[in-house]
Order: sequence, then C-alpha cells, then structure tokens
Amino acid sequence: MADYRELWQKLGMDLEKHDVLCEVLPQLYGGVYLSQENRPEGMNYYNFVVAEVHGLRIKELDDHKKEGGKVVGTFCVFVPDELILAAGAIGVGLCAGSQFWIEDGEKVLPRNICPLVKAFMGAKLSGTCPYFQSCDMIIGETTCDAKKKAWEILDDYVDTYVMDLPQMKREKDHKKWAEEIYDLKEKLEKLTGNTITEEKLHEAIKLCNRKRIALQRLYNARKALDVPISGKDALLISQIAFYDNPERFIEMTNKLCDELEERIEKGISVNKKGDKRILISGTPMAVPNWKIHHIVENSGAVVVAEETCTGTRYFENLVDESPTTMDGMINALADRYLKINCACFTPNKGREEDIIRLAKEYKADGVIYNCLQFCHTYNIEYTNVEKALKEAGIPVLFIESDYSNDDVGQIQTRVEAFLEMLG
Amino acid sequence: MEYDYYILFNTHTDGLVLAKKLKENNIKYTIVPTPRQLSKSCGIAIKYEHEDEKAILDIIDKHEIKILAMHSLERKNMEIKFI
Repeated sequence: MADYRELWQKLGMDLEKHDVLCEVLPQLYGGVYLSQENRPEGMNYYNFVVAEVHGLRIKELDDHKKEGGKVVGTFCVFVPDELILAAGAIGVGLCAGSQFWIEDGEKVLPRNICPLVKAFMGAKLSGTCPYFQSCDMIIGETTCDAKKKAWEILDDYVDTYVMDLPQMKREKDHKKWAEEIYDLKEKLEKLTGNTITEEKLHEAIKLCNRKRIALQRLYNARKALDVPISGKDALLISQIAFYDNPERFIEMTNKLCDELEERIEKGISVNKKGDKRILISGTPMAVPNWKIHHIVENSGAVVVAEETCTGTRYFENLVDESPTTMDGMINALADRYLKINCACFTPNKGREEDIIRLAKEYKADGVIYNCLQFCHTYNIEYTNVEKALKEAGIPVLFIESDYSNDDVGQIQTRVEAFLEMLG
Repeated sequence: MEYDYYILFNTHTDGLVLAKKLKENNIKYTIVPTPRQLSKSCGIAIKYEHEDEKAILDIIDKHEIKILAMHSLERKNMEIKFI
C-alpha cells in the first residue's frame, strides 16, 4: 500500500501512537460495517474513503497547501462552510469521536466534561490526527461552555478563531450573527490572502446547497418502508460529508442514491418485516462513534434518521440563492444557519417540533434520545422533549453515554427492552 | 474453516482500476481497509469471493492491472471493541 509515513512525519505526527489507531480502526470498521449483509454496492466508495482516511485526503490537503492554499478545521454545523470555500480554503469537519484521544485530552481538561471536547483536545495534543495537523486555523464557536473554554487552551497549539453564536433567536441576535459571519469573512480573507468576492460566495453557496440536496436525497430514501440502506451506513456518509472533497462527495452520494431508489422500486431492503424503525435524536456522532447505531441495528431495529448535527441539522434548509450582493448573501447565510435548532438556544421549541415532525416523516416507531455524557444543554433539554413526545404519543428512550466500550452491554439490554415495549 | 480473500495493491489507483473492471464484469467485490495482518500501513484492499478468483485473474492479466499480492485470511468472529 501507499506509504504516507513521510507525509505524517512532516505534519509533526506521533507515528508510533498513530500506528496504534491504524491497527484498531480496520478491525472496528470490519466488525461494524463490513459484517453487514446486503449493503448497497455504492458503499464501496465510502469504504474506500475510510480505508484511505488518513492517506489520500491528507495528501490532497497537502497538495493544496503546497500551492499556497489553507486548510481550516471546524467542529460545528454553525460554521458556514460557504465562506471557507469562497476564500479558496478547504474546510474539514474534524472528528472527535474516539475514546483513543480522551486520555490525552484529560491532561489539560477536567475529566467531567463532554467526551467530544476531551477527544478533540487529545487528538491535537497527541499529534495523531493528520487532519488536525493539516489545519492552519481552527474555527470554534460558543455552542457550549466546555468548547468555549477549551478554545482558549487549544489556541496554544493551533491558531483558533471563535465565532460568538447568539443563544437566542430574536431579531437582534440575527443581526449579531450576520455580523459574526462578516467578521469571519474578514478573518478568512486575512488568512488566505484571497478576497471573498460576491461571485465566489455565490458559487460556494450553490455548491454547499448541492451537497445538502444530495444528503436530503439520501435521507428521503430512508423513509421507504423497505429501507434500502442501514442507519449506520447513512451515518457514515454524513460523517464523511464533513471532510471529503465536496464535488466528489456530491457525485458519489448521488450515484448511491440512484442505486437506493432502484432498490426501493425492487423492494430490496436491509430490514426485515417487523423490524422497528428508530429515529435517533441528540448529540453529534463524530467518526468513529458508531456505537449506538451498531447496538440498535444489532437488536432487530433499523435507524431511519438522525436528528443530530451529523444528521438532519447539517443539511435541512437551503441557503436562499436569490441574493447576489454581499449583504444579501451574508443575511441569507445568517437566516439559514439560525434555523438550526441546537440545544444551546433558549427557548428551543423548534427542536421539539423537529423531532415530532421527523418521527412522522420517517414513520419511526420510537425515538432514542442519545446524549453524550456531561452535555448539559442536550441533557437538560430532554425533560421538555420527553414531555412533547409523550403528548404526541411517541415512545422515547434516553441514553447517556461516552465513546468507551464499558456500557455497551448495559445499553444493549435497555435498547432491547425498549424495542420489545414497542411491540 | 472459512476464509476471506483479498487483493492488495501498491497504490489505491490500481485498486480502483480493478474495482471498475470487476463492476463492469458483474463480479462481486468489496473495497475494504487492508487487514493489518496483511500489511503494516493503512490503505485499500479488495475483498472477493473465492469462486471468482479465476475470472478476476483473467481480468488482471487482460488489462495488465498491477497488484501486489492475493491473500486469504481465516474468518474469525472478532469481538467489536469501540475505541
């Protein structure tokens, strides 16, 4: 196989430690993904991306940098990819979904905070994520206290810029968010030396919308009674959307969707008659966090949608393409991004409505509310979500977990009992 | 004992060329991360059905596709450990 060690070394990676990750990942992927029966052929592309996850794409980033381009890392669906692309930079949604990075994260962070925050810090400190190592700048945001304070520490290791996301959705918050987007535009122009012109931004808006439409098409296929693709495969595709080349991703995802639509017509399905349909709602699932999907789909159910940042929150609502002036486009971006119903907002009734709407659209038999440990906003918001779901007659199970293997058996038991209860 | 069969490559490009040809010839295959037992570095391999081996070798010959090796591995039900 191609040897990327020279490239990894150049990026300042800890090769020995990274090798440990390379050793366990194929086995985990094999067990979770390759063991599935009746997968769509189009999943071969995503297998390829995973197999080359720390290779080919990193080389593409390196080639881009050699030509003077910049790479920008993000951790949140509120950071507008459009501006990064319009500045001629490559954006990568950094993964922080592995227990592997927790120990290193805890060297500078308290233990009792969210695993996602500890993992991204650990990934940087340990020098084992080539994406992180490729980044010229990180764009953080203020979606939770743990992230907000962690950026200050991360800034010692990599240039970290923070967007101040309002936590309410009033008119003045909308204005403030538009200003934040303007500030990011200036920051990116300074970083890249490129001017974000109206033409470039408009092109980027159209590109990102096309990516959202491809993901919407994928999710629409999952509404079929004979589900043509497993939830864990759909999750993987969403995860890959964050760092793959956008044009290639759109092309390959649309090809896969052609196959899925053909499968629906022919009645080819990954689920058996009577398998329960589950909507997962809650905190993001970054690569390689496939834990809950694996447990649910190994218990005689199929995950039909995710109301998460690695699910519908990433692609629902398009940016209005009609404005062509800078002010108009920035406002259109602010509009679209502020429609995301994240638990960091108060109040956040829109999220309750989203979950109920999605449960109906995807004909879910029940909802599994998945919350990362110590994620206060999503954890607290469960009280109102549970109440709203009860009123709507939709059964729900609450799971709080981290990335570790420790509670897999316990969660499995609870999921099985929940599925049994669904009848 | 059951076995899984893999083709390894020097570069991912060679792997993709073969994958394309296999698809054209309706031969079932899966692109997979190279099992660690077979290689020390990350990268792609093609997993195939043993019964298709001759047909695959013919395609490799006919199109002069560069491969590194063909290997079989005993299939084991490994416990999944989330990391």
